Amino acid sequence: MNLRDPESMNVVIGKVLRYGVILSGTMILLGTIGLVATNGLSDSSGMLTYNPNVVPHDSLIVSPSALFHGLLTFSAFSWIELGVIVLIATPVSRVMISVFLFAAERDRLYVLITAVVLTLLLFSMLVTPFIPGFHA
Amino acid sequence: MLIVEFVLLMFLISIFAGVFGSIVGLGGGIVIIPALTILMGVDIHFAIGASIVAIIGTSSGAASTYVRDKVTNLRIGMFLELASASGAITGAAIAAYTNSAALETIFGSILLVSLVPMVMKIGEEIPKSPELKGMSKRLGLTGSYTESDGGVVKYNSTRPVEGLAGTAVAGVLSGLLGIGGGAFKVLSMDLAMKLPMKVSTTTSNFMIGVTAAASAGIYFARGDVDPLIVAPVALGILIGAAIGARILLRSRNTTVRKIFAVVLAIAAVQMILSALGVPV
Repeated sequence: MNLRDPESMNVVIGKVLRYGVILSGTMILLGTIGLVATNGLSDSSGMLTYNPNVVPHDSLIVSPSALFHGLLTFSAFSWIELGVIVLIATPVSRVMISVFLFAAERDRLYVLITAVVLTLLLFSMLVTPFIPGFHA
Repeated sequence: MLIVEFVLLMFLISIFAGVFGSIVGLGGGIVIIPALTILMGVDIHFAIGASIVAIIGTSSGAASTYVRDKVTNLRIGMFLELASASGAITGAAIAAYTNSAALETIFGSILLVSLVPMVMKIGEEIPKSPELKGMSKRLGLTGSYTESDGGVVKYNSTRPVEGLAGTAVAGVLSGLLGIGGGAFKVLSMDLAMKLPMKVSTTTSNFMIGVTAAASAGIYFARGDVDPLIVAPVALGILIGAAIGARILLRSRNTTVRKIFAVVLAIAAVQMILSALGVPV
């Protein structure tokens, strides 16, 4: 594949998105099947109640070690959560790869624009949740 | 309601949301939020968390088809994303100091007003392409795509500054409310930059995924992304988006514009209802 060719840019990005979506969809599907198989006939209302005073909400696992443990013990919620994380990562990887593909096209202006977009994106995703007062 | 019923019902509704969300470039939240809050009785926080995931799912699910067929304009998308991402961060920073009901009333009204130029262009298949000059030329904001009948549509864009301003508004709105950015993105590309309708909606479809991912961290950290609620939504959305993308590629620009105008009207009413306290 010749990366200087703008055509190949579409092929690469299209593949990244497709694989990301298939991977994420498979994880979420397996988790959902597990969830329905074990708890399908329970009432859903208890799981849908929101308590803003409990952060994070008690059915959620946000710490990486808890998530990892859940994956190893085949917890349905953990597999769904990992699938959602992969899904959230697909647009990020798309922007990341675009930086390199614009570089391969020798388009300096768009390498710069895309790098700025990537910086804003990562800042917003990873830093702003920890700044007090953001999106109260 | 039993969990199995909740999962199946939300899965089916989300397929529908994915089909329309991917065609109009708004991302399916417009269907997901009222379905969850009004039909299922889910809290609005969870509904917005699910909507963020639904937007990313529509964006990535449909984009793998759109990018391959080159309808999405990556340069225009990336250029405008500068404004959208900065706007989203600004919106999240000022959210604590704003009145969301007032904002929803203002933005809902702007959407209602923008129906007028949208309806006036209702029969327009391909806009009269402007001359490529100035900033648009330096930024390479031009492109072409192939219609399903084999015809090649070449287009240029104009007024990049107005386009940036419109998408900045879209970004601020996403950062403030978690919803509503897509409509302003499509309107900026259509009304200001004069792109063909399918290019506008598919490029918006690319951008909303990036903007939603930018705010996903906050919703995730707060615990608003509930696995039980998100799972059937994500699965349905991915399937719906794949169907919607195929429908869009075979549709005429005029058809996409008509569908968009209807969805725009619904989005405007939804935003105003939300200002009045209805959880949609």
